[in-house]
Amino acid sequence: MIVNEWCMYCGECAGVCPRCLIEVRESKLIFDPENCKDCQICIQVCPVRALEKE
Amino acid sequence: MYTSMPSKSIREGIIKGDFMIINTDVLVIGAGPAGSTAAKHAALNGAKVTLIDKKSEIGAPKRCAEGVSKDGLAKLGIEPSSRWVAKELSGVRLVSPNGTDVLLDDDKVKLPESGYILERKVFDKHMAMDAARAGVEILVKTIATGLKRGEEDQVLVDVESMDEKFQIKAKIVIGADGPESRVGRWAGLKTSIKPKNMESCAQFEMANLDMPYPDCIDFYFGSVAPGGYAWIFPKGDDIANVGLGILTTKTDKTAYQHLLEFVKNNPATKNAQPVELNIGGDPVGGMLKDIVADNVMIVGDAASMVNPLTGGGIISGMIGGMIAGKIAGAAIQDEDYSKKRLKEYKDKAQEEIGDSFKKYLKAKEYLLSLSDKELDSIADAFQDAEFESINTSELIKLLIKVSPKALLKLGKLF
Ligand SMILES: Cc1cc2nc3c(=O)[nH]c(=O)nc-3n(C[C@H](O)[C@H](O)[C@H](O)COP(=O)(O)OP(=O)(O)OC[C@H]3O[C@@H](n4cnc5c(N)ncnc54)[C@H](O)[C@@H]3O)c2cc1C
Repeated sequence: MIVNEWCMYCGECAGVCPRCLIEVRESKLIFDPENCKDCQICIQVCPVRALEKE
Repeated sequence: MYTSMPSKSIREGIIKGDFMIINTDVLVIGAGPAGSTAAKHAALNGAKVTLIDKKSEIGAPKRCAEGVSKDGLAKLGIEPSSRWVAKELSGVRLVSPNGTDVLLDDDKVKLPESGYILERKVFDKHMAMDAARAGVEILVKTIATGLKRGEEDQVLVDVESMDEKFQIKAKIVIGADGPESRVGRWAGLKTSIKPKNMESCAQFEMANLDMPYPDCIDFYFGSVAPGGYAWIFPKGDDIANVGLGILTTKTDKTAYQHLLEFVKNNPATKNAQPVELNIGGDPVGGMLKDIVADNVMIVGDAASMVNPLTGGGIISGMIGGMIAGKIAGAAIQDEDYSKKRLKEYKDKAQEEIGDSFKKYLKAKEYLLSLSDKELDSIADAFQDAEFESINTSELIKLLIKVSPKALLKLGKLF
């Protein structure tokens, strides 16, 4: 997952991730790519479209 | 290897640089309004409580339009303070897509539910300060990264604070980690939110607005905000929170794009300028059913304690926090942290919060089923209506009077 520079770390992506793979820090997003099934719900809900598929 | 340190407090252990396990009775993860309230009440009921938040500043950045009811604060026993009340309101204005408005203000009606616009950055800090005064130890810039069950009847939470990594061993963990809601999932609860139940929100705090009714909160319905609504919540003078929530299942644009359009087209914001952008998710699917596990309770947004119609979750999350905190305190006294014991929290929360949400969920479904045209004609019909009071259920009763579709969908509920 590409986290664009304009991400505001609001955490909406983490809340919808069905596999709980996103850790939101104060100014960092950490994905667990190994267990990701590419459902892309996180990309869909982002209020500022900060996430992009690699 | 971890060693158990005799440090009096976690902070003392950090200062000593010990790699450690710290014991506490109740660990609250997340110092939003729900977490601070839970921590305060657990401490007031005799427990040793630790409250952590990953942020360096509790309350900031805000993810909120900051509206609360006076009744709600009173129910929580919280005296309004000029430090965190930005504005007292005297009414509500509902605006249909063609701009027809329904004004529900003090002149027309008594306002049992009229409220305040808060300064959340200050309010959240003050709620945490109240927790501190009740004896809670608070750690900021401290994140929980995982949870597992210990050998004894306790849970071990992995925690990071700056370059320190340690574990907190707690008898009870209260997950108040907001819409991300990971703590519950670590404990085996199904808390992930479907996109159809998560409002995606964007908001500017703006100045230089030209508001026709600066003492009313404005709600805008219809295609300005597919799956949700737009709002202007005044904060005094020419300042307001201008925002909207959408369901991403109902539009291809982002919340931010919808916001830019709303601000461009709304007469009140033509000359307004932003000083802040806020974004975030608001879980509006109704309170989750599974909110307790052995040694674990979840509160606030983490448990979807948000009114599904309005998206308001400050008061309901704090009420959930109050119930959870009191029960955590009592459970510590009883030395019983089983799911069975903590279920009392679930039952009380269901009674006080969850049950009332069910009808709002229906009302939301109805509202979202209306086209812009239907909304306009309802607003038209409202023009001649007589209002006696302004709470949500009164509004819906009135809606039933003017819209046959409402009777069909809502008639039995209100
Ligand atoms: C745009 C928008 C507008 C809204 N407007 C209103 C409104 O007008 N009125 C209203 O009543 N409600 C409103 N809401 C909802 C309201 O903001 C929430 O219901 C409320 O903030 C929930 O409180 P909380 O304590 O549960 O969670 P939060 O306030 O989200 O607090 C959670 C805390 O947990 C911390 N945290 C998360 N994970 C961890 C971790 N792993 N370790 C440590 N700390 C962690 C976070 O940093 C955060 O401080 C709005 C929501 C949005 C998005």
